[in-house]
Amino acid sequence: MRLNPSILNLDWVEVEQKIKNFIRDYVSKAGAKGIVLGMSGGIDSSTTAALAALAIGGDKVLGLILPEKETYNKKEIAHAENVAKKFGLKTELIEITATLESFYNSLPIFDPLDNVCKGNIKARTRMIYIYYYANKLNMLVGGSADKSETMMGYFTKWGDVAADIFPIMDLYKTQVQRLAKHLGIPSEIIEKPPSPTLWPGQSAEKELGIKYELLDLILYGLEHFMQTDDIANQLEIREDLVKKIKQRWLSTEHKRRVLLAPKLEYRTVGADFRLSRHYFYY
Amino acid sequence: MKERVRIALAQISCKRANKEENLKKMEEIVKKFKDQSVDLVIFPELSLTGYVVRDQIYELAEIIPGPSTYAVEKIAEKTQTHIIFGMPEVSEKTKATIYNTAVLVGPKGYIGKYRKMYLPTHSVFEEKRYFRPGYQSAVFYTELGRLGLIICYDIFFPEVSRITRLKGAQLIVCISASPAVRKTFFEILTAARAIENTTFLAYVNLVGIEDGLQFWGGSRLIAPSGRVLAKAKYDEEDFVICDVDYRDIKPIETFVPTLKDLRPELFDELKKCAEHL
Repeated sequence: MRLNPSILNLDWVEVEQKIKNFIRDYVSKAGAKGIVLGMSGGIDSSTTAALAALAIGGDKVLGLILPEKETYNKKEIAHAENVAKKFGLKTELIEITATLESFYNSLPIFDPLDNVCKGNIKARTRMIYIYYYANKLNMLVGGSADKSETMMGYFTKWGDVAADIFPIMDLYKTQVQRLAKHLGIPSEIIEKPPSPTLWPGQSAEKELGIKYELLDLILYGLEHFMQTDDIANQLEIREDLVKKIKQRWLSTEHKRRVLLAPKLEYRTVGADFRLSRHYFYY
Repeated sequence: MKERVRIALAQISCKRANKEENLKKMEEIVKKFKDQSVDLVIFPELSLTGYVVRDQIYELAEIIPGPSTYAVEKIAEKTQTHIIFGMPEVSEKTKATIYNTAVLVGPKGYIGKYRKMYLPTHSVFEEKRYFRPGYQSAVFYTELGRLGLIICYDIFFPEVSRITRLKGAQLIVCISASPAVRKTFFEILTAARAIENTTFLAYVNLVGIEDGLQFWGGSRLIAPSGRVLAKAKYDEEDFVICDVDYRDIKPIETFVPTLKDLRPELFDELKKCAEHL
């Protein structure tokens, strides 16, 4: 296998169709009225929102724009609203600063300088807002995680990757970029540097220490059982870097699996039960 | 025995874990085909229950013949049609030994069954967790000709189709539940098995989405020459009627005489090599 950017090419018409079928099918089997998702103005949530609207109709998709004081950015809000307008979905904007501050103030050990712990409160607070709407309006929560950040564990546990379905989770970031282009997501959204925006100036590539173009090829190689030295040789990079990425991928599996319990009894939740995601009452 | 047989590729999606609904659907479809002089209606792998039923398989599996096959026998009798479908079969002797089985019934009742030999247990597939593999190929001498049965992943192993052919099959029926990422393999292998065995091959795949798995359909009838005689749509329910004319086998058997040229002595070597992989 030769690792180069063209290996990540897919038939985007077919991919769009498969994802739309998946969304339509899941929403209808769950008996839900639609999909609610958080919209940051970034490429992943814009692409997911667009796919949801194309799949089940914009009137059944609600995008929640949930800004807060520290990372407030008019441009990001405008990006989210543009996508909503273009694909005909509804949005609601809720300022969450007051909620966040009550969390900060009520935590006896709160450390304002710890960006990560504080940022995770933001992601989890947004999750609570989104699930309230889902609950109240009988909708499903659409997750926007892509394969690159999911494999890297680059997300907040029980925060942004708390959702019912993940339409683009099997696509690497640079594949999402190609799909977004195919769907007609505005280019300023596709081209801006990705960021979870948990604190001002946060950059995904800076934090991961690698550009997505390279990361995605390394992950693709790992996904296909390639050896780290082979990946490094092909991409003309140091094997250390590939090993570091591999280690990060493997050491974050706990964030991607749920419900780990010690095995004590006959059939154990998480470890033994193999059940369908839908219960069939016939 | 008929020389010319009309078959229907019934490419359906299933209601998962709902045998009653699926049987109802099968009945409606078979009845619909009755007016078009269809001799044999073929449904996909595990079409009685759906493919992704996981632990519910223990509640759904039945002995064969048993309640569900009786129900299908009635449909066959009423419509004077032969029917092939797939279901989880539980052993009569033990309660948790289950097979992934294809069943053939005709207007006069139950004819026979085939238990899938190759159970995929990799990637998204968990079949060995639930099923015991079958140990016998299956060819049935019927009024519709000699019908061989295989299931899905069996097609990756040429020996299954070959044995079926050597036991006399003129039409190999492969019922399947293949998800979309495997499409290319099946499109090639279905044609390959037909050509190398100089036999007709009917492939009937599931459609629909079960737990995120999208089945791609694309059911087809392939001539012994490898020509695709009929093909159903991709990704959606479709029903295709087509004719098998067994007289077409002889000319291709003389043109591509693979069976005449078989070298049995190589099979001993093959066996030895496979044992020491």
